[in-house]
Amino acid sequence: MTVFYRRLPRFEYLIPKTLEEALSVLKNQKESAKVFAGGTDLIPQLKRREIHTPKIVIDLKGISGLDKLAYDENTGLSIGPLTTINTVAESPIIQQHFPSLFHAASSIGSPQVRNRGTFAGNICTAVPSADSAPALLTLDATIKISGPKKERAVPITQFFTGPRTTILMPDEIVIEISVPKPKPGSRGIYLKLSPRHSMDLAIVGVAASGISENGICKDVKIALGAVAPTPIRAPMAEEILKGQRITSNLIDEAARNAITQCSPIDDHRASQEYRCDMIYAMTRRALTQVFAQ
Amino acid sequence: MEQIRLTVNGKDYEMQVKPSATLLDVIREDLGLTGTKEGCGVGECGACTVIMEDKAINACIVLAVEANNKNIITIEGLAGDEKLHPIQEAFMEVGGLQCGFCTPGMILSAKVLLDKNKTPSDQEIRKGLEGNFCRCTGYTKIVESVKAAAQKMRG
Amino acid sequence: MEEYSVIGKRVPRFDSKEKITGLGKYAADFSLPGMLWCKVARSPLAHARILNIDTSRAERLPGVKAVITGRDFGGWTWGFMANTRDEPPLAVDKVRYLYEGVAAVAAIDEDIAEEACELITVDYEELPGVFDPEEAMKEGAPVVHDYRPNNVSVEYHWNFGDVEKAFADSYLVREDRFTTGKVIVGFLEPPASLAYYDPTGYITVRAAKQSPYFHYRHLAACFNLPLSKVRIIQPLIGGGFGGTKNDSVAGDFCAVMLSKKTGKPVKFVYTMDEVLTTCRRRHNMIVYNKMGMTKDGRLTAVQSRVVGNGGAYTAIGPLTMYLAGFATTLPYRLPNYKYDCYRMFTNNPVSAAMRGHGITHTRFACEIQMEMMAEELGIDPVEIRMRNAIDNPKRGEVYRTINDVSLKTCGLKEAIQKAVEDPLWAEKEKRPRKAGPISYGVGMSGTSYLGGARQLGHQSCGAIVRICEDGSVNLLTGATDCGQGSDTVLTMIVAEELGLKYEDVQLQRVDTSYTPVDPGSYGSRVTALAGQATQKAAQDAKKQLLEAGAKAWNVAPDEIEIRNSVVYLKKNPEKKMSFEKLAKIASYEGSGAVILGRGYSGYGIEPLDFMTGTGNGGTGYSFTAQTVGLGVDMETGKIDVTDFTIVHDCGRPLHPISVESQNEGGAVQGMGQAIYEEFVMDKGKTFNDNFLDYKMPRSTDSPDIKVIDIITDDPDGPYGAKEASEGSHVSAPPAVISAIHDATGIWFKDLPVTPEKIVKALKEKGRWLK
Repeated sequence: MTVFYRRLPRFEYLIPKTLEEALSVLKNQKESAKVFAGGTDLIPQLKRREIHTPKIVIDLKGISGLDKLAYDENTGLSIGPLTTINTVAESPIIQQHFPSLFHAASSIGSPQVRNRGTFAGNICTAVPSADSAPALLTLDATIKISGPKKERAVPITQFFTGPRTTILMPDEIVIEISVPKPKPGSRGIYLKLSPRHSMDLAIVGVAASGISENGICKDVKIALGAVAPTPIRAPMAEEILKGQRITSNLIDEAARNAITQCSPIDDHRASQEYRCDMIYAMTRRALTQVFAQ
Repeated sequence: MEQIRLTVNGKDYEMQVKPSATLLDVIREDLGLTGTKEGCGVGECGACTVIMEDKAINACIVLAVEANNKNIITIEGLAGDEKLHPIQEAFMEVGGLQCGFCTPGMILSAKVLLDKNKTPSDQEIRKGLEGNFCRCTGYTKIVESVKAAAQKMRG
Repeated sequence: MEEYSVIGKRVPRFDSKEKITGLGKYAADFSLPGMLWCKVARSPLAHARILNIDTSRAERLPGVKAVITGRDFGGWTWGFMANTRDEPPLAVDKVRYLYEGVAAVAAIDEDIAEEACELITVDYEELPGVFDPEEAMKEGAPVVHDYRPNNVSVEYHWNFGDVEKAFADSYLVREDRFTTGKVIVGFLEPPASLAYYDPTGYITVRAAKQSPYFHYRHLAACFNLPLSKVRIIQPLIGGGFGGTKNDSVAGDFCAVMLSKKTGKPVKFVYTMDEVLTTCRRRHNMIVYNKMGMTKDGRLTAVQSRVVGNGGAYTAIGPLTMYLAGFATTLPYRLPNYKYDCYRMFTNNPVSAAMRGHGITHTRFACEIQMEMMAEELGIDPVEIRMRNAIDNPKRGEVYRTINDVSLKTCGLKEAIQKAVEDPLWAEKEKRPRKAGPISYGVGMSGTSYLGGARQLGHQSCGAIVRICEDGSVNLLTGATDCGQGSDTVLTMIVAEELGLKYEDVQLQRVDTSYTPVDPGSYGSRVTALAGQATQKAAQDAKKQLLEAGAKAWNVAPDEIEIRNSVVYLKKNPEKKMSFEKLAKIASYEGSGAVILGRGYSGYGIEPLDFMTGTGNGGTGYSFTAQTVGLGVDMETGKIDVTDFTIVHDCGRPLHPISVESQNEGGAVQGMGQAIYEEFVMDKGKTFNDNFLDYKMPRSTDSPDIKVIDIITDDPDGPYGAKEASEGSHVSAPPAVISAIHDATGIWFKDLPVTPEKIVKALKEKGRWLK
C-alpha cells in the first residue's frame, strides 16, 4: 500500500552532553542510531520514509563548543560540525577570505533552512549537488573525524564515495572542517546553476579558485557538483591552465576538458546533454571571473 | 515520552512530548496555537515559520524536543495587547495577503528581516522571503507591505 | 462617472485581521473531542484490477476504530454531468491512476492510522496502462473505462462559417502544433476536513472547499440524505484556483463514512506530495492550430484541433473542452471557425479546471501563431492586434461573434494602447539589447477571459441581507472567498447600497444550513453573479427600511436617502436620523418586523450548448493587454523575468487592492506555468512531487508588476464590473513567450519553456556557445 505520511515514524531521542557519549551510543547501536545537527535533511527523509528509521536519533546540539567558526592566520579556517550555514554565510571572515564559501552558503535552501542546517551536515548528506562541496574541494579542505579509534583527518577529495555515501563509518562523527589559509592573491568563486532564483538544487555547481601573476596562471582548482556520483575536482582541466598564460581560448579549452571528467546523468531535473553543455558554460564562466583583471 | 520546557509568546510551558513529535505538531495541537500552518511538511514552503531564539525556522522539520528550553514566537505572539505590530498593520493597509495561508510565516520572516535590516532594498526583501512560498499574490504586495512596514518601524 | 462612497475604495480586506493575527481558522485548524484521524491508503499501480483487499491486520492494530474500502460506498459514483458519473470515492473494481485511493482507516492518532494503512494488503492484477492522450486514441490502446471503449471522455465538433474556403482565399496560412504542460493549481493549504455523521442522519463538515455546494450535493447523494441534512461550514480557505477544491476528494468521502461507522468526528489532512500526485491537475493539451490571414494581417479563419489529457476520470472535463473552444472567437474578429476536440482518458491523475481553464491553451496557441504570422507579413505585434481587435461597442450595442458570444464592452484596443504607451514597451528601444551573455526582450499579448461563468444546469445564486435591530447588518451569502477577495467586494456592495460604512457590514461565511445556495467560486463569477444577488438583496432591505422611515416621517420612500450611516430627507438634509434609529423604527413599530432583504442573480439565463459551441460561456468578458520584460542568459538558457505591465479591462474595479492583487498573482502563476512548472512523468508516475522540483515561482523569481485599469462600465455587472481573477493568468504565458522570442529570435510552441529547451533550440540554430 502506498501511504503519504504526515507524521514522523517512531524513534527515541538522545541529546548527549559530550562527544564521547555520542560516540559511545553510535558504537553500541551501530546502524540503528543516527546523529543529526540541523535535521534539515534527516527529518524530511524520515518523514518520507526514504531511509530506514533508526531506533535512536542522537542530537549533537547538546555538546558545547562544536559550533565555532574561527580563523587564524597560521592554521586557517575552522568550521565546527554544528556551525550553521547561516553563520558561514554571514561571517565577515568568510566573506573576506573565502568568497566561494560565502557564495555556496548563501545559495543553499532558504533563510529558515540556513538557520538550522550545518555546513558539516551538508557534506555528510553527500548529495552529488551539495553546494558546500565544490568550494571546499577547491580550498583543499580537510575533514576531521572522531570515532572509536583515535581521530583521523581526511582530505575532502577522499571524503565522498558515492551518491549520499561518504567515508564515514557508522560509528564516526565529523568534528571539524578545516580549510588552510588561502595563498596570497588567490581568488575564488562558486556558481550555482538552476532554473529558479531560490530553493533549487544545482543542475550544475562549479567552484574555481586561482592565482594569476602577470597573466600567468600560478595555481588553479576547479570543482564541480551535480555532475558525477560525488562532487569532484577536474584535475586535467586544471593542468591545461597551470603555468600557462591565461587566455580566453585556454579557459575555453579547460572548460571543454572539464566535461570529460564528469559523468552526469539524465534525470527529471535535467538531461545529460544539458548538464554537459552547462559544465562547459559554467566552468568557462567561473574561470573567466576568477582570472578577470 | 520526553519532558520539555518551552517559552512560547512569553508564556512558559512544561509538557510531555513524543520524541517524533515536531515542534509544529506541538504548537498546533498541544498548545492550540493554530496560526502556524502546515503546507508542505518538509521545510520547503515556509508556511510553518516561527521565530526560535531570534531566528526564523521551519517548525515542521524541528523536533519538539529540540526546542527544549528555547524561546519561541509564533504569529499569535506578535501583536501586543490590543495593538497590532507595524508589520501586521502594513500587510493589512497595503493588502499583502489574499488567502492568508502563507501570511503568518511571511510576517514572521519579514520581522526577522526588518529587525536586522531597517532599510532593505526590494532585492533584499525578496531574498529574505525566499523561504516563504505564496501562490496568490505574486509577491508584489508582499514586498510593498514589507517596505511600508520598514517605514513604520523607522518611525 | 458615478461617485461611490465605498465601491472603488482601497479598503482593507474584510478578513485581514483574522489572517494577519493567525486567529482565523482553516479546515485543519479545527479539532473536536474524541476525534479520530483518517488516512487514505493508495494503490502502488497505475492501472490494475483489484482482486482482493485484506484489512484484517489493520483492523486489529490497537487504536484503529474502522477500516473501509470502495465497497463501503455501495457502488456510488459522482461526476459533473448525469452521464459522466464515473468516479468512485475509493476504487472498487479497478484503479485507474497511480496512488488512487483504495482503502481508508480511522484511528485515535494519525500515526496509528498511517501504520494501519501499511497493514492493508491488496491483490492486484496489473493491467497495461495508457499514459499519453494521443496513444490513448490509437486502435488497441488499453481501455480505461468500459463505458468509453475508445477512451474518448469528451468530444465536440463545431463549425462556423466556411474555414476551407477562407483558408483557400487567405494570403497566408500557418499550421502549427502547440503543447501546454502538466501543471497544477499549487495552493498552499492541502485539502482537509473535519466531519461528523450524526447517527440521526445529519452530516456536519468543516472542509477546505472553494465551492462548498458541490461537496454538499456529493455528500447528500453519496449518503442518501436530503440536502437539508447536509451542513458544510466553510472555514477560511488557503487558496483555490479551481479544480480540486471545487470538487470532492477521497479523503472527504472517507472521513464522513468513517464517522458514520465509528460515531465519532473524523479529520483528514492531505500531505503536499499527496496533493501533487493525486489531486486534480490542469489538463495538458495538444493544440493543432491553423490560422489564415489577409495580406494586411486580418484574420480570415481559425481551425483548432485540440487533444486534452483527461486523466483517469471525467470530472469537469466537458466544461473544460467547451471553454477551450468557445472563446477562440475573442478577443479578435474572426469570421470563420472550426473546432474539434477530444478529451482522452489516460491512466494519469485526473485533469480538471484551473484558473483560466480551457481558454489558456487555445489562447496561447492563437496569440503565438498570430505573432508568428505577423512576423512573416512584416507587421508589428501591436499593429496586428489593433487591426483585428474587437472594437468597444457603443452604448446600447452588442457585438456578436460567429458562435453567438455577445459583448457589450470591450476595452482591448484601449488596453493595448495604454500598454504601448507604458515605458516597458515604449522605451524598449532605448534599453540595451544585450549585457554580457544576457539578451533582453519585451513581449506582448492581448487576451480575453470570461466572467460570470456558466455551466449547464445550476447557475443562479441568492443573497440575504439581514438588518439587525441595532442597525448592524449581516450579509448571508453562498459565495466563497478562497483568497480572491469576494467577501470584501460583497460587503462593500451591501455598504454601498445601504449607505453604510464598509466596517458596519458583517458577512456570514457559507454554512449550507442557512446560507443560500451558490454554484461556487469559479469562472470569475462571484463579483458578477453573487454581487448582483447581493446588490438586489441590499436594495430589497433598503426598500423595507425606507418604507418604515417614510411612515415615520410621513413622506414617500423615494424622498429619503442614506449616506454614511445617516438617514436624511433629500430636499432637506437637516431632517435626519441615524441608520440605527431607522433600523429600530423598522424593527419595532407596530407589532415589529423582521427586515430581510432577498436578492437573486438574473444575468446570463440564455441557453448554452456544449455540442454546437454557441452561446455565452459567461455573462461578460474581460480584456487584458500585457507586456513582459525579461532577460535570457544565452549560455545557460536561464530566464530572469523583470517586469510586467498588465492593462486590464475589468469594467470597473470594485475593490482596487483585490483587482491589482488578482492580476499580479494570476500573471505570476501564469509565468510559472510558462517557464518553470512541469510534472515529469513516466508511466503514470510523477518524479517531481515536491516544492523543490515542481518549480513554482518564489519571491526572487517574480517581476516588478504594474497594473493599469481600463474602465468600460459594463452594463451586465454590478457597478459596471467584469472579471478580474483569471484574465492575467491567460495573458501571461503568451506575453512571456513573445518576450522570449524578442530576446532569442526563437518561437517556442511547447510549454514550459525551460532553460534546457532554450539551449537546445539555440544549439539547433547554431547559435549556442560552441
